[in-house]
Amino acid sequence: MGSIEFLLQGFTVALEPIHIIFVTMGGVLGTLIGMLPGLGPATGVAVLLPLTFTMGPTASLITMGGIYYGAMYGGSRASILINTPGDGAAVAATFDGYPMTLNGEAEAALAISAIASFIGGIIATIFMVLVAAPVSRFALKFGPSEYFMLFLFALSATSSMSKGRRLQGFVSMIIGLMIATVGIDGQSGIKRFTFGILELQNGIDFLVVIIAVYALGEVFKSFKNIDEGTKKAQTKFGRIWISKSQWKRCWAPILRSSPIGFLIGALPGAGGTMASLMCYNNEKQMSNDPDKFGKGAIEGVAAPEAANNAASVGAMIPMLTLGIPGSGTTAVMMGALLMLGLKPGPMLFQQQATVVWGLIASMFIGNVILAVLNIPLAGLFVRVLSVPPKVLYPIVLGLAFVGTFAIGYSVMDFYILIIFGLLGLFLSNAKIPLTPMILAVIVGNDMEQSFRRALRISDGDFSVLLRSPLSISLFCLTIAFIAYPMIRAWIAKMRSSKQSS
Amino acid sequence: MNLSFISGIFSLVLGIGYTIVAFGLEKAAIGRPLEPRIFPVMLGGALIILSIVMIAKEIAKGEVKQKTEKDTEKKRSNLVRILLTALLSVIYAFLFDRVGYVISTVLFLEGVLWVFNGIEKWKTNTIVALVFSLFIYILFAKLLGVYLPMTPGIWI
Repeated sequence: MGSIEFLLQGFTVALEPIHIIFVTMGGVLGTLIGMLPGLGPATGVAVLLPLTFTMGPTASLITMGGIYYGAMYGGSRASILINTPGDGAAVAATFDGYPMTLNGEAEAALAISAIASFIGGIIATIFMVLVAAPVSRFALKFGPSEYFMLFLFALSATSSMSKGRRLQGFVSMIIGLMIATVGIDGQSGIKRFTFGILELQNGIDFLVVIIAVYALGEVFKSFKNIDEGTKKAQTKFGRIWISKSQWKRCWAPILRSSPIGFLIGALPGAGGTMASLMCYNNEKQMSNDPDKFGKGAIEGVAAPEAANNAASVGAMIPMLTLGIPGSGTTAVMMGALLMLGLKPGPMLFQQQATVVWGLIASMFIGNVILAVLNIPLAGLFVRVLSVPPKVLYPIVLGLAFVGTFAIGYSVMDFYILIIFGLLGLFLSNAKIPLTPMILAVIVGNDMEQSFRRALRISDGDFSVLLRSPLSISLFCLTIAFIAYPMIRAWIAKMRSSKQSS
Repeated sequence: MNLSFISGIFSLVLGIGYTIVAFGLEKAAIGRPLEPRIFPVMLGGALIILSIVMIAKEIAKGEVKQKTEKDTEKKRSNLVRILLTALLSVIYAFLFDRVGYVISTVLFLEGVLWVFNGIEKWKTNTIVALVFSLFIYILFAKLLGVYLPMTPGIWI
């Protein structure tokens, strides 16, 4: 059976009424959460996770997908109307979206952001249909040493993406791997780093760490600007749509930005933030009139919005096909999949074809539903922005605790939640990026297992890690990722010293 | 002393502590006896090296600019509120399965809303706390079938 047959089969799953209800519900909730300042898709999925626990794998995955791209849709609403992005991926939408609102063109900005998001999401999902199955078939050939190298590459790439704070990125990654080693070692039965605490024997649940960092940590961080009060958002709108001439300016940027966004999203570590900023700059450079960017150019909203939605789809590819999440949000989704008993990776496409293709098909449907909801109902949705954050953050806190309890029915997890929430706050105040840590917590166990399996095959000879061409190339890529910024900095230094002398 | 420097020290201490514990791990009874140690020891070593580089870089950069008084005062009030929230969370964890979900959550939210929203708005706070707790309880325990601890003696 080819991808198209699988996709059609997926549509029969995704079009079941209950799944349509779930994807709509997830999309709406995601849109609402994504709109709140500081709360992006990762927090959205983390906080709403417990809702999906009793649904069964397909419905749960479809709902989480809805929350994910719903939050991407929602993030830009707050950027456009009150200049406060919900998360990094929505930052680029403030550049021209907010000036458009100030110019009295909020309707066009809201409409184009939904249209661009829709087109970006659909194009990326088509790419995903084409790419996912071949990648997963290729990944079936991976042995333990290739897997270890792949994990190493993905984590190092994510860590070195932390702009200007690469060292801190790697520290964060190692701390994450350390968290993953706590508990009984699956292969030897030895207790590691449990310090005699019974509850630690099963390890620290990565979902608890995720909720701690993305929900509790964000709430703690919010104290910094909570007293600034709510910004008044425009709630009365004319017809939310765009004119023909505006569409003429936008279609090409949208079509250019979607594939770029998809590709960047699929790379480990580079997510929606980078995709949207890059596409924004692209369009600015390609424009005949770059000066109007930043003053309310509609292309400046269309390009990054298409890119970040495409990136959110692209990010699911390494997660589903290789078991390697490339972003915070996909890490949360992977955590939830593992909890449901599904193991993301090449075998997922072999053994759980209905679930995976149901998700992919539901992404088409979800994008249509969200575009339809987001254009006429924008005026209604943005009312959430007028609820004071002082009331919302305590509610997020309440959701974080009930979610944590639903994971393991253990109050002990509450203490872990509080400790890691404070740790997350401390690390982010010290400018240590948290995404590498989250990814490492999730893949840490698998990474160690593949490392040990490889060594067992070779009877303890480390050179086994670099025996196949594939693992050698992955290793070279890792080195390149780590070394490239250093080399670039070194060359720049040489040049400037030459010039001065 | 800035936070980057402190975080360098923090990760150094973590790295050293972790490595010491890693070297003291039990030997495996099956398979290679030292196998459970290899990966942790590598992690510990890597963290020690990274944090030394981090500390060295901070020292090389020198002292950063002084902060204004207003900043520190604001920081202190933030810290107080963060610690209060954390303390309320610990109390919540303690009460959670002793007095049941609804009552402990109402108390917890009242407390947290007091920290966030102020005591003057007690009416809003109480409504939010009550509605949230009951809504979540009915949604999870009754509709989704997720177990939440009940208050002894009452139906919720």
